[in-house]
Amino acid sequence: MSRFSAASQPRLRAGCRLSQSPQQGDVLLIPEGVLRLAGPGRKIVERCDGSRNVADIIRELQAEFASTDPARIESEVHIFLERLHQKGVVELA
Amino acid sequence: MASGPLSLIAEITHRCPLHCVYCSNPLEMQPRLRELPTEAWAKVFASAAELGVLQLHLTGGEPLARTDLSALVTAARKANLYSNLITSGIGLHEERLAALVSAGLDHIQLSFQDAEEQAANEIAGTRTHALKVELARLIKRYRVAFTMNIVVHRRNLERLPEMIAMAEELAADRLEIAHVQYYGWALRNRDALLPSRAQWEQSLEIINAARGRLQGRMRVDFVGPDYYAKYPKACMGGWGRSVILIDPGGRALPCHAAGVIPGLAFDSVQQHDLRWIWEQSPAFRKFRGEEWMPEPCRSCDRRTQDFGGCRCQAMLLAGDAAATDPVCTLSPMHQIVEAITGAVNGSAAETPDWVYRIDPIPAT
Repeated sequence: MSRFSAASQPRLRAGCRLSQSPQQGDVLLIPEGVLRLAGPGRKIVERCDGSRNVADIIRELQAEFASTDPARIESEVHIFLERLHQKGVVELA
Repeated sequence: MASGPLSLIAEITHRCPLHCVYCSNPLEMQPRLRELPTEAWAKVFASAAELGVLQLHLTGGEPLARTDLSALVTAARKANLYSNLITSGIGLHEERLAALVSAGLDHIQLSFQDAEEQAANEIAGTRTHALKVELARLIKRYRVAFTMNIVVHRRNLERLPEMIAMAEELAADRLEIAHVQYYGWALRNRDALLPSRAQWEQSLEIINAARGRLQGRMRVDFVGPDYYAKYPKACMGGWGRSVILIDPGGRALPCHAAGVIPGLAFDSVQQHDLRWIWEQSPAFRKFRGEEWMPEPCRSCDRRTQDFGGCRCQAMLLAGDAAATDPVCTLSPMHQIVEAITGAVNGSAAETPDWVYRIDPIPAT
């Protein structure tokens, strides 16, 4: 089970920020590392602003990817946030 | 054609107030008069970003010795680079920290020498530990990532658990524990610094336990002592593959230590375009790819993972920069490393005194 509930408000930790490069595409720059963001990764990360909660993020992605199974989006957002948390990239506001 | 580098290591000065016994700077350092000016660095950052560099590591010496450091961070952010300050903290105060953070500094990596004040000061050859602890608390009040870095060796490894506790107490976002790598001044002090095999194995256990416990709160990165490794480290991610280093005077090198390899000419950003240096200059092409590899590397399955190990270490230990890194257990010259580790682990092993880079300030 994810540590993030629907009401959790994830945000990027200090020293973690989105960027783009012509060579790498969307990237998340973190201390001593670069995480390449594939698929909707960027859309999730840019919503980790400390004011939206997990339910908001899921709802916005479900609206944007209306042809995808909403339950799948919900579970993928949770998995992605959990992975970012393990890497020390997001914290709960 | 070579793909572009991802990281730029900018050694903006060799000046440093510390005298660490494992200093990684080259034995011959460059004077202040030869240091590149602010505008020249700004141009380097812009060219590096065009080449594909994403992250800039501002290091030295002590980068705070440069009074234009905030201007350099501003230039880095303007070039869309992530900036990381690798520092002892000496020269930092609140006003300067605030200026650096507002200029866009992303990450500060503050070095510590030990968890215990007296021992830390002895290693640094200066009384600076207490100040570093104060600075760590100050850094935590600003929105910037904070890494605590500690170099470990024979004479401080027994306090590894205390070092981890200190990083937790100071609320570091990331802890980097790095065993000494034997180049520069550290090689001169190797017999005093190289841990025993038992110390190395114990350090690995302690680190693994801490990683599990701290997951999600504090990232713990660990660099082992490669003399005890089975296979060599993928030094710099491969020669001329992902990292470019510019020294204080503007020479571009594939790594910190490459100056020890005879016959290589390192071109300067003052005479050449950075892209030409990366893609075409003889020094960067010398050990790029697999053409240069001897056996056993040439036919080894691991050649795409460790790239034959470290060229400088091959030079320093085997006298041949094109040899397989002698730390590799498959190297025909591995007995050189076995003789060194054997002496440290023998029953009659004594720990000699170390030699300071210059005479330290008396500890009294």
